[in-house]
This record gives sequence, structure tokens and C-alpha cells, in this order.
Amino acid sequence: MGEVIVVTSGKGGVGKTTTSANIGTGLAALGHKVAMLDTDIGLRNLDVVMGLENRIVYDIVDVVRENCRLKQAMIKDKRFENLYLLPAAQTKDKTAVNEEQMRDLCAKLKDEFDYIIIDCPAGIEHGFKSAIAGAEQAIVVTTPEVSAVRDADRIIGLLEAAGLKSPKLVVNRIRTKMVKTGDMMSVEDMLDILAIDLLGIVPDDDSIVISTNKGEPAVLDDKSKAGQAYRNIAARITGKEVPLMSLEESGGFFEKIRSIFSK
Amino acid sequence: MNQFLAENLDNEKTLLLQKTLRSGQSIHYDGNVVVLGDVNPGAEIVAAGHIVVFGALRGVVHAGASGEAGATVTAFSLAPTQLRIGSLITRPPDGAAISLPEHPEIAKIKDGSVVIERFLPSSEKA
Repeated sequence: MGEVIVVTSGKGGVGKTTTSANIGTGLAALGHKVAMLDTDIGLRNLDVVMGLENRIVYDIVDVVRENCRLKQAMIKDKRFENLYLLPAAQTKDKTAVNEEQMRDLCAKLKDEFDYIIIDCPAGIEHGFKSAIAGAEQAIVVTTPEVSAVRDADRIIGLLEAAGLKSPKLVVNRIRTKMVKTGDMMSVEDMLDILAIDLLGIVPDDDSIVISTNKGEPAVLDDKSKAGQAYRNIAARITGKEVPLMSLEESGGFFEKIRSIFSK
Repeated sequence: MNQFLAENLDNEKTLLLQKTLRSGQSIHYDGNVVVLGDVNPGAEIVAAGHIVVFGALRGVVHAGASGEAGATVTAFSLAPTQLRIGSLITRPPDGAAISLPEHPEIAKIKDGSVVIERFLPSSEKA
């Protein structure tokens, strides 16, 4: 039986889709059978980030309306045999899929796949509620901004109310230098408010912009620091213990963040 | 007058919350509210009586919401976005961040304005 993990944040633009693409690809690179679901109906992006846009024939709405079989809509990744994407519809809106249909869909996918990664739309309305309906685990993505952390806190409350009891945190786009000078919220500051387990820290990295535009997830780029961070996150999801990587050469910060992680 | 009201409050029913209140969560209660957890920014508590937070209070609280000027707000770490007691509304001063003391603090109305003091159980009884 597979594990259904929803990637969510509340606020838009913090990196849900990038995180979903990289975690999905990272898990597939580790040899697991992975399905990625884009539930951002009307604003689909995951297919673009994965570089699979031109292969879409059917989408998630076609599947729930039974216009096609589930297998027909699942797009096989160009890099991994064991990675599939179920794209969102672009011409419909969020009401096209309800919570019941998402639960059924996730239940079907669980029989076939080891991990089902759901890319959740921004917001807390219908689209969010359907996206989390079939999930058993949640990953909350935030950036070191007060507004993003506030929304993450709201989302954690809503996830807990929906029975997703222990969501994990991914802090995206951290800039070590700015944290050091006190100009950016530190991971400690965020954990102090959110009080959930830390799954990983992703540094702000130009290679993410490049890889996102190319449709090649950074997780496959050995030279990218963000890619390394996502590889670590994928490994942690499979239950491996991976220490937080050093975000700078000197190593002082490393000890600091490792001490948080070992709590 | 205040003393009289405070005594009334002591006999009121109390709601015990054993969780952290997160952004967007709101508690309205016709009595005292005790939270075993934090009250995060964006969360709010409105209570007819006292509010006690065994954790960090960072959200909006309103004690004595039905007009009880003797109501108090106590927290391990008292750093609310806005604090209201009875009909008074206060907020932290703009500008520089205030460094918080390590000890619990209590907010109450004294001579018509909200004051924040170190929470001392013995002096409270006196």
C-alpha cells in the first residue's frame, strides 16, 4: 500500500509545485514507484515544471468524470519509468473535483504506487479541501517571511482539524547570509511559532529558476545545493536519517541547524 | 468596584484548551479561558472572564469581554498582537522589538489603563 502525501502552504508562490516536482522525482530516483497529482485545476503548473506539458491528453477531471481510464491519463515521466504525473485540467475550475472523488482517486492510486505526491493549490477553499481529502501525510512549505509563516500556521491548524495530525515542515529559499545578519527569519524563529517537525531546509538557489524553466527538476542536478536539499528530503521521507546539510563552507551554521533537527 | 468584579470572575466557569491555537482559530467563551499551549499570531480568544496562557501569547486576546474591568490576561510569554480588557484596547508600541522577560507576566487594568507586571502569585493574593 502506498503513502499519500499532500504538499501545501496556504500562501502562493512559496514553492509548492517545485517542492512537489523535486520530491516526486527524488523518490523515483531512489527507485520507488511514484505518482504525482496536480490538483491546481485551472492553474496547472506541475506538468510544465516536469517538462511534460506537451504529452497531456487527459487530465484529472477526465478521470473523475470517467471520460477516460485512470491509466490513460497518467503521463509517464521522460527520465524515470517509475514516475507518473496526473495533470490538472486547465479549462475547468476547482469545483470540478470534490473531496469524495479525491478520496476514491487516492485509494485507487495507493494500490499501484509507493508514494502519491499531491500538489495542492494555494488558498484554504474548495481546492485545498479536496486536495487534502485523500492524504495521510502533509508537507507544509514555507519561506522565511512573516506572511508565509502566518499562512503556514493557519494551514497546519486546518490540517490538524482535518485529521492530518503531524504535518512536516519544509523551509524553502533560505539565505544563510541574511539570516546571519539578522535580516531574515531563521529556521529556529519559524519552528518556534509553527512547532512541527522539520523535514528539510532548501537554500535559495539560482539553479532552481533555471531547472524550473527547463522542466528538469533540480533534484537531478548534482551541483545544485537546492537539489541536494531535495535529495535529502526524499531520503527522509523514505525513513532514512539524513543530517541537515551545510549551507555554507565554514560549518558553524550546520551545527546550529543540526541541533534543531535532532530535537 | 474592581475588586467586587474580580471576585465575581473567580466563580465563573472555565474552559481548558489543551492545544496551541493557530492562525485563524478563534475561541469565544462566556467564562475564563486557560490554554495549555501557545496562542499564535492570527488566533483570537474572547472571554468574559480571565485568560491564562501556559505558553507564548502572540495573538489577539480580549478578557472581560462583557465589560468586566477586573479581568486579567496572564501568559508565560506575553507578546500579544493586541490585548483588550473590558472596553480598553492596547497594542505593543510601534518600532523597536521589545525583549521579553523570562518570567510570566500579567496584564490588568489599573487606574483606568492596562498595565503589564511580573506575575507573582503571592502578591496577587495580597
